[in-house]
Amino acid sequence: MVTANVPATSDSAEKWEVQLRKGSLELAILAALWEGRLYGLEILRHLESNSDLIVVEGTVYPLLNRLRVLGLVESEWVESEFGHPRKYYRLTTGGRQRALEMTRIWDRFSASMSNLLAPLGKELKQEIKMRQEKP
Amino acid sequence: MIFSDESQKTIDAYLGALRRELRGPVEDDVEDIVEEIRAHILDKTSGVAATGTLAATLASLGTPKELASRYHADDLLLRAQVTRSPFVSLRSLFRWATLSFVGLAVFLVSVVGYSLGGGLVVIAGLKLVWPHATGLWMEFYPDGSPKSASAGFGSGYSYQPPPGREVLGWWLVPAGLVLGAALLFLTFRFGTWCIRKFWRPRVWSRGAVAVPEL
Repeated sequence: MVTANVPATSDSAEKWEVQLRKGSLELAILAALWEGRLYGLEILRHLESNSDLIVVEGTVYPLLNRLRVLGLVESEWVESEFGHPRKYYRLTTGGRQRALEMTRIWDRFSASMSNLLAPLGKELKQEIKMRQEKP
Repeated sequence: MIFSDESQKTIDAYLGALRRELRGPVEDDVEDIVEEIRAHILDKTSGVAATGTLAATLASLGTPKELASRYHADDLLLRAQVTRSPFVSLRSLFRWATLSFVGLAVFLVSVVGYSLGGGLVVIAGLKLVWPHATGLWMEFYPDGSPKSASAGFGSGYSYQPPPGREVLGWWLVPAGLVLGAALLFLTFRFGTWCIRKFWRPRVWSRGAVAVPEL
C-alpha cells in the first residue's frame, strides 16, 4: 500500500533507479550500435532521442573503452569535415551475439517482473485515480 | 574550429590533467583516450565557441580525476580477465601493489613464481648449450648417503663444475621445461584468480546516469 505521505520518488528509490539505468547502459550502447557505426557524441544523442536515458557524457567514453577491451566493439579513427578526426565504434560479431543474448535475458526478466508487479500496478492506478479526483 | 586563446588554454589544461591522471593500467591507450575526449569537446562546442558552452561540456565530462577514475574503475580486473600475456598480468599486479597490501603480497608471490618458472626454463636451455657445466651435483659418503648437493649453471668453457656426481643428466631438460612452464602457468592463473577474488574496483562516481524528473 502506498501511503499518501511517501514522496513519489524517495531518495532510496532514486538511487535504485540510477543503479538500474547504469546496469542497462551497456545493453543500450550495444543496441545503439546495432544499425551501424557511430561516434561517441552520436551514441549519446541516439540514447537521448530514443530513450529517456540521459547519460552523463563522462560515463559513455569509459564504457565504450571497456566494451572495446572486451572485444564487443571495435573502433576506427575517421577524418571529418570539421577538421578533427572522430573515433567511430561498430559492433564486432561477438558484440552482436552479446547484444542478442542480453536482449533475450532482458525480455525474459522484464516479462517475469511484469507478472510479479501486476498487482502493484493496479494499486498504483487506483492511487493515481484518487489523486486526480482530489480537488 | 577556432577557439579564443583562453578557451584553447582551458582545453589543453583539461586534457593535460586527464593525461596525467590516466597513467596506470590504461597507459597504452592514454593518447587515444585523450584525442577522443578532445574530439568530443570540439564536436560539442563547434559553432558556438562561447566559454559557457565549453565550461558546460567540461562539467558534463567531470573533472579529469573523475573521468580518469571511470576509465580505471575496473580496468585492472577487465584486463586480467581478457589478457593471456603474463606481462600484462604482471603490470596489472604491479598497479594493484601500489594500491593495497593484498595487491603487494600477490605481486611479490607472482614475481617469485615467474622468476622460479623462468629460471627453470633458462636452466633447461643452458643444459643444451653447456651440458657439462649445467646440472645438479651431489657428493655421497661411502655408504651411499648424500653428503652435499650443489647446483651448477653453465657459464662458459672455463666453468669448473662443483665436486661430486651430476645426478640429473639430460633429464634436466624436460624436467626444467615442464616444471618451469607449469610454474609460469600456475603463477599466471594465481594472479588472475587473486584479482578476480580480492580486487575491489573504485566505485564510479555518483550521477553516472542521470535520472530525469518523473
